Amino acid sequence: MTYLVWRQYRLQWAIALALLAAIAVVEVIDGLHMASAWHSLQVACGTTAPTAGQGGGCLSQSIVSVVGNDFRILSVLVPAVLGILWGAPLIAHEMETGTTSFAWTQGTTRTRWLVAKVGYLMLAAVIWAGAASALVTWWSGPENAQRGDQFQSNYFNTQGIVPVGYAVVAMALGITAGVLIRRTVPAIAVTLAGYVALRAWFAEQIQFHLLPAVTTYTSLASTWSPGGISIGQGATVINAAGQNVGGSQFSTALYMPNGNPVATSYVPAACHQFLPSPIPPGGGNASPSLVSCLSKAGFRNVFSYQPGSRYWEFQGLETGIYVLMAAILLAVAFYAIRRRDA
Amino acid sequence: MKPGPSLVVSQTEGTPMAPSALAIETSELTKRYRRGRVTALSNCSVTVPEGRISALIGPNGAGKTTLLRLLCGLAEPTSGTASVLDQTPRQEPAFLSEVGFLAQEMPLYRRMTAEAHIRICARLNSRWDGDLVRTRLRGLDVPLDRPVGTLSGGQRSQVALALVLGKRPRLLLLDEPVAALDPLARRHFLQTLTAAVAEAEGALTVVLSSHLVTDLERVCDHLILLAASQVQLCGDADDLLASHKVLVGPNKDTTPLEQAHTVVQRTTAGRQSTLLVRLTGPLADPGYQAEDVSLEDLVLGYMSATTPAYADLKAVGE
Repeated sequence: MTYLVWRQYRLQWAIALALLAAIAVVEVIDGLHMASAWHSLQVACGTTAPTAGQGGGCLSQSIVSVVGNDFRILSVLVPAVLGILWGAPLIAHEMETGTTSFAWTQGTTRTRWLVAKVGYLMLAAVIWAGAASALVTWWSGPENAQRGDQFQSNYFNTQGIVPVGYAVVAMALGITAGVLIRRTVPAIAVTLAGYVALRAWFAEQIQFHLLPAVTTYTSLASTWSPGGISIGQGATVINAAGQNVGGSQFSTALYMPNGNPVATSYVPAACHQFLPSPIPPGGGNASPSLVSCLSKAGFRNVFSYQPGSRYWEFQGLETGIYVLMAAILLAVAFYAIRRRDA
Repeated sequence: MKPGPSLVVSQTEGTPMAPSALAIETSELTKRYRRGRVTALSNCSVTVPEGRISALIGPNGAGKTTLLRLLCGLAEPTSGTASVLDQTPRQEPAFLSEVGFLAQEMPLYRRMTAEAHIRICARLNSRWDGDLVRTRLRGLDVPLDRPVGTLSGGQRSQVALALVLGKRPRLLLLDEPVAALDPLARRHFLQTLTAAVAEAEGALTVVLSSHLVTDLERVCDHLILLAASQVQLCGDADDLLASHKVLVGPNKDTTPLEQAHTVVQRTTAGRQSTLLVRLTGPLADPGYQAEDVSLEDLVLGYMSATTPAYADLKAVGE
């Protein structure tokens, strides 16, 4: 069985390996360049702070990547490409050319045949995606340090272990679509559409909602704001009654020290004397006396967010869910193959 | 479509010795597709004794491929049973290693060489004989080191046949193996096949399908005729020929004749009738001139009785 899979896929594996090597060369060169730029910036700023936030403004100067975000996008495509080019034809092509009737009448079972094909392809997907992700993670090191926020989707989705989950589910989707549809080209179309829809839906509805958000209240005078990613109402100001008074749909807004806006229409009568007069059309920063008056009136900042410390928790959860989805898809494929007339 | 006359000759007819073991025995085998809307095979009951070369004949769409796929376990019957080498066809090595199947399009991995196929099969089959395959292909001057997709149709069919023989199966099921071959390649293919059967000395049974009996007349000694998804004839080729006659005589009432025998097909031209008759005893009526039938006459007679298209074809031919 191993030999059959090896004979069928050795060319693809050679191509994949060559591609991976090419990507690696570019990323290593660019990554070394970025790492040295980051180090120079730290030296110039006279700090060894690990993140830009701790180093004050100085560390926020841009460190230019030559290949930039294009490479990130490229690595996002890896799982989809794997699923489409390897997964979808895996069974569909054999059904189209009739070689299933060759394979399924040898002295072995269809299940063993499928286990071998699926097993080796899944392994290849894990290795491929894992290697690509490891490269991107290393390459992004200086940028991650500078930003201190890896939850932004282009960063979260291209690093750590989630790319492996994406690749596994794309491959499983391709294989199962091929088994059920039996034709390569339609299977490829379904795999592409299904994968994009799944990822988009997951990112929108599920991704950072897997754990309940942390809610933190702070005094209006505080400049603190959490790292991580805002969820639900996000960062805003509420009054004593718990009503959201942020936003500026109906009136101009004044900004609190941490940047949260308070709509002027919600400012209680007791604090009107501290409003600037006239109120500038675009709003403006609140005066310390207004901030303290609003605080006394019970106004406070509220933050609803996923803290940055949950990065690996989210990586693990998301990868686990994608692997589970892949397992369910493959179970369908196995069931269909065992039952299928050829 | 109304069922035509059906006749199944017992495999023991004409051989008073103990009946030989059956390689294939099916009972009321039925296969429907598309949730029962298409019937590919209907109540098919056939037997093939061990060691025979059986021709599975029938027009396109008669259910030949369906029957072969049911026999090798690639498809599951909707109802009925099949016993192949005393086993129910199933997806188990114990069954699959006994049976060789060659699909009509002779599927092989086109980019791989014959040698690669030999090595793959060696890993998938317990009784594999790779040297036999190599020897056979070298003897036919088929290159082992070229991708099979670059070989000629005749060479590719030889590779496919050699590979399926390399399993050393006890039953070989071949679906339209010669349909796509030119006459010379066809002859070579059938020569390889008959040589393999002779070498096996009775341990290899072959069923090969075709829509033309002339393709297989020379090699087969057993016949299964399928038409309109049903079995029309099944039995030893010589027995079938001996029990059928073409009667030529005046166009008259055939009721007395039909009381004793079965009229399979009737063609009338003016005052003369030509009847294909299955005899169930000596022919009593001297008004008819009896002629022997060829396998082709027999097949066409039964086919035209069930298939309007064939009836027309026969009419045009006469």
